[in-house]
Amino acid sequence: MRFVYLALISIMFSFSGCSSKSIEEPKEAVAQEEKSSDDSNGELAGFADEFEAKEIYDPFSGYNRAMTGFNDGAYEYVLKPVAEGYKAVLHVEVRESVRNFFNNLYFPMRFTNNLLQGKFCNAYEEGGRFVINTTVGVLGLFDPARNHFNIEAHEEDFGQTLGFYGVKSGPHLVLPLLGPSNIRDAISLYPDSLLSPIDYSEREYWTLSDTSAEYIAAKSLENINYISLNMDRYEKMKRDAVDLYPYLRDVYEQYRDKQIEE
Amino acid sequence: MKKIYKKVLILCAAVLFGESLSANEQVELKEHFLNKINEVILVVEDKKISKNIRNGNIIKVLTPMFDFELMAKLSLGNTWKELSKENKDRFVKLYVERMKQSYSAKIDAYKDEKVEVKKIDQPQPNKMALVTDLVSKDEKLEIVYKFHKPKEKISAKDSWLVYDVEILGVSILKTDIAQFKEFLQTKSITELMDALAKQS
Repeated sequence: MRFVYLALISIMFSFSGCSSKSIEEPKEAVAQEEKSSDDSNGELAGFADEFEAKEIYDPFSGYNRAMTGFNDGAYEYVLKPVAEGYKAVLHVEVRESVRNFFNNLYFPMRFTNNLLQGKFCNAYEEGGRFVINTTVGVLGLFDPARNHFNIEAHEEDFGQTLGFYGVKSGPHLVLPLLGPSNIRDAISLYPDSLLSPIDYSEREYWTLSDTSAEYIAAKSLENINYISLNMDRYEKMKRDAVDLYPYLRDVYEQYRDKQIEE
Repeated sequence: MKKIYKKVLILCAAVLFGESLSANEQVELKEHFLNKINEVILVVEDKKISKNIRNGNIIKVLTPMFDFELMAKLSLGNTWKELSKENKDRFVKLYVERMKQSYSAKIDAYKDEKVEVKKIDQPQPNKMALVTDLVSKDEKLEIVYKFHKPKEKISAKDSWLVYDVEILGVSILKTDIAQFKEFLQTKSITELMDALAKQS
């Protein structure tokens, strides 16, 4: 008997939990409606908490704005025309192989950051991808791991690792040529570069580039190649901006938050 | 004792019935959404017609599923309440046109991509989120369509309407809210409307 009562009480509670919520909402809506004569406010109130405008702390906005303008110009007048020429010369399959090759080189970075976040399964899959793509995929030029074994890459970098452990992004910072970033992600570029075989500092193991000139050449190739494969992406995105800097800033921060959440 | 059992049973049945109702709603919405996508794909693949007509057709198929008007209102945040009647009407008109253009242009670029519904969330009885993957040859893009069900059905619209789209975690509406807010800190609503008019 007591059990039945307990069950009833618990059910009652779970219902009252729901009903108190649904009672509260219309109240809010009524309050909102009273404030202004607009009848559509009741409809909007249901979305109020979902789209609360966040105050953004942006002490570098002046510099960021200028750098966004510079990057945009560099893209439109230098990178894009070069990438268009590059695209015209090289077949898409060659360019995909160049991209795969660079992606494969960043395996140590992805592997380590997966491990640091305790994502052992993903780290294991990354390891598998590296072995398969480096051997069967001819030094990473092809991606049989994805195409034949259905193993997806797990993009992780040190900025995401820091975010995973609760480090806040800090103020937004637009980097020259590299584009939108923030203090946390910009600092993270350094530890990630230590895990990248594309580097010009003295290393005890093999790196793709030995001098800074070689480094710049390799990085340029990687980026021009990337742009050539994703030609209209930036333009399409830019179309929706009424003001480019805050738009790109917001897109970047939302995207990073999502990556860290995963 | 027996009476109480009966009551408990009735209660349980009611709960289960309620849940299966919402499950049905979810399945219905998913099927409706996939049908729409198929319709859109047919339009996109019809390369015989000119791009402008194709975009027009995409818009025709998609408009009943989207609550662009609500998006317009939400995109201005608190500023919306302060607008005059004429400005409200003009802003909604411009915003809706811009969304239609931008969305149809984005969709027209699709080729050989598949849409898979991964998951359906229903955080509130009148809200659902369809988590989908846009699968192409070399990548997977996660796109979340957020639907709401208006209390009264709007004529010429579906009963469930999209009020936000999140592409790789980037919400179209949130981005607009943020950029409009910043724009209006230094400029007027008229300037914002002029900027929107230029985009569509």
